[in-house]
Amino acid sequence: MTGTLGLLRFMLRRERVGLPWWLLGATLLVLVQSTQSQNLYGTPEELANLRRTIGGNTAVIAMSGPTRLLDSIGGEVMFEIFAFTAIVVALMTMFLVGRHTRADEEAGRAELMRSARVGRHAPLAAALALAGLADLSAGLLVFAATYGTGLPIGGSALAGAAVAAVGVTFAALTAVAAQLFENTRAVYGAVAFVLGAAYALRAVGDAGNGALSWLSPIGWGQRTFPYAGDRWWPLLLPLTTSALLVVLAAALLARRDFGAGLVPSRAGRATASPALGNAFGLAWRLQRPALVGWVAGLMLLGAAYGSVGNSIEQYVEDNPEIAQFLAGGAQSVVDSYLALTVSLSALIASAYGVTSVLRLRVEETSGRAEPVLATRTSRLVWLASHTVVALAGSALAMLAIGTGEGLAYALTVSDLGQVPRLIGVAFAYLPAVWLIIAVTVLAVGWLPEAAAPIAWTTVGYCAVVGLFADSFDLPGWTQRASPFAQTPRVPLDTLTVAPLLIIGMIAAASAVTGYAGLRRRDFGR
Amino acid sequence: MNRFSGPAISITALSKSFGSVKALDRLDLSVAAGEVHGFLGPNGSGKTTTIRVLLGLLRADSGAAVMLGQDPWRDAVALHGRLAYVPGDVTLWPGITGGEVIDLLGRMRGRFDRRRRDRLLGMFDLDPSKKARTYSKGNRQKVALIAGLASDAELLLLDEPTSGLDPLMESAFQHCIREVRQEGRTVLLSSHILAEVEALCDRVSIIRLGRRVESGTLRELRHLTRTSIIVETAEPLNDVADLPGVHDLVLEGHRARFDVDTADLDAVVRRLAPLGVRSLTSTPPTLEEMFLRHYGDDGARIPAVSS
Repeated sequence: MTGTLGLLRFMLRRERVGLPWWLLGATLLVLVQSTQSQNLYGTPEELANLRRTIGGNTAVIAMSGPTRLLDSIGGEVMFEIFAFTAIVVALMTMFLVGRHTRADEEAGRAELMRSARVGRHAPLAAALALAGLADLSAGLLVFAATYGTGLPIGGSALAGAAVAAVGVTFAALTAVAAQLFENTRAVYGAVAFVLGAAYALRAVGDAGNGALSWLSPIGWGQRTFPYAGDRWWPLLLPLTTSALLVVLAAALLARRDFGAGLVPSRAGRATASPALGNAFGLAWRLQRPALVGWVAGLMLLGAAYGSVGNSIEQYVEDNPEIAQFLAGGAQSVVDSYLALTVSLSALIASAYGVTSVLRLRVEETSGRAEPVLATRTSRLVWLASHTVVALAGSALAMLAIGTGEGLAYALTVSDLGQVPRLIGVAFAYLPAVWLIIAVTVLAVGWLPEAAAPIAWTTVGYCAVVGLFADSFDLPGWTQRASPFAQTPRVPLDTLTVAPLLIIGMIAAASAVTGYAGLRRRDFGR
Repeated sequence: MNRFSGPAISITALSKSFGSVKALDRLDLSVAAGEVHGFLGPNGSGKTTTIRVLLGLLRADSGAAVMLGQDPWRDAVALHGRLAYVPGDVTLWPGITGGEVIDLLGRMRGRFDRRRRDRLLGMFDLDPSKKARTYSKGNRQKVALIAGLASDAELLLLDEPTSGLDPLMESAFQHCIREVRQEGRTVLLSSHILAEVEALCDRVSIIRLGRRVESGTLRELRHLTRTSIIVETAEPLNDVADLPGVHDLVLEGHRARFDVDTADLDAVVRRLAPLGVRSLTSTPPTLEEMFLRHYGDDGARIPAVSS
């Protein structure tokens, strides 16, 4: 353990830029939810209405938490946001511990450290201490955000402690995974799998008799019922589990060689499959894992949106203030809701498109594209390979959104015809997504160094005018450049093809111009 | 295969700047077809920039470059089917195995000899089924080398291809390059390892600050530099200091150690002979000495180049 304190100081220094953002993100989630919930359901009648609408909606319960939380307004805040805050804090903790244990070991940095007067267990102990400090800060910030927005002090303290406890559990879990696997990606993969399972178990448990929720660290946290009974004893579960896991991690660490894992890494193919024979095969291979993640995530998001579709009319009747967020007002509530949620999902799909096109820059700046372009692969083919994946991938993402939202909505209204209808709706937003992709290609071609900021600013602009133009009374001209604002808001508006064709043509022109830029510039900047 | 008969590479007055930094400053370089050409220079002298221009990755500001009779910028794709490139700093895709990278690059290059690939895997002792993230620097270098050498390209552009290889692998590499030369193919070998260049190269170009400062066969280059002599004679060696071309003389009665301009070597030896030579050691200048003389602080032969 020699050197733990010194290492901890050094780790804090390395994290001083990234860590505050994670903490800020988790705090904002709670802060926004608390303010919004107290505005919308501030009176006991409004809360009772909500209990009535949501109490019978299995999909919402599965997404959020146990309905007992809906007994008080503070509990309502926890019902909506606890699971997501816990996920953010768990991910933050996972990356903290992973980065300072297995990632450092894999990169060879830890070797340098360990050659100094640093004990075998010191890096792990320091990483866990770091994670503990971060989780403690997250807990304090959750307390500050809830208590600060007027919720009772006892429940706020418990909410903070419960969030921190979930974080600590995942710190210990990551510590064990870091001993098992040789590479960092496998560590993150395993922990993320457990996190997903924790969310799923509590979803099934909360929707059913609650038994499975007791197998989930997120479930443990929720079942302290902050503001709705305030019981502290379930926190013993995460604390005991964490202690046992830390002891296990320390024991495993003492039994393995430096740099090795207890699960040997699998060998890959010695020869390339026929699919990996050109630039397109390579781009597909490189982007496939990320695409699978985005598509699965967007399908789940669509399903979450779709499952609420049927209750939305009742919900808006109970909470008329909501109607101001819906373009069609109270008259065509469901269609406005579907149009809003699909276009929001399309924005997320365009974020996928941007990351996919920016893969070009990652390949270029890392030097990996150089040997590829030294073969018969032309710049056009290289550019097209990743762009085609982005275009097809975003089409797949829109298909997933339409299918997810369509299926969930179809099940609640018992009308399978909603599936093809919502798939059609989703594809109406595809040209707008493609235009964002094409703008990114344009930037990669002409302003490679600024491509990432340009692309993300474009997405950010579309998001801001899409989400806030109406509620902030932004003047109409500010929206006009957004392809999402130009897209007919189906199914609320009728579908007209002309704007989609124009958006598509602008996209094609941008992409072609982007290629012209790439063709004439120096490569590798 | 229809080979090109003119010079494999012909570069004249090539210039390339990055902002205010002049990477290439009217560089000349000529590589004959069928030769192994050593391309020497310290870090930052413009070797990699030159190769990137030849690959059509960078566009020269001025000057001309012709490779295998084609324009590296305009005819990049056609040329790339005729050459193989091995970078000096190899980065690979972490989730793809070495074997897959070799096959992928081979297929993208067009001409790919599977038997040659398998033979090279054995020669360089590389496990092709490991993911690239687990490879050491030397192993990543081997992946790029095998991918390059497995092709039967007319021209090999090698940018410090053996950095990170152990002596055993270095000798395997030299064996492969000799084979390439026997097959009549051309190699441009940028290198830091002077022993490798001495062992492999027919001709050498030395560049500094983006300019060629020397070019020729090793024999020609040696002629321009000094030979070290250690001599012991029966008679005292008093008047050696006055001989033309003698430098850095250390005289101890009947023994002397000095450097002599290789051009004056014959005259000096003739003057020593009558003194009754008991022993004579003559060491031709190593490439390393030549190299250091071009880049050393004394700067005697370094032409004034402003950057």
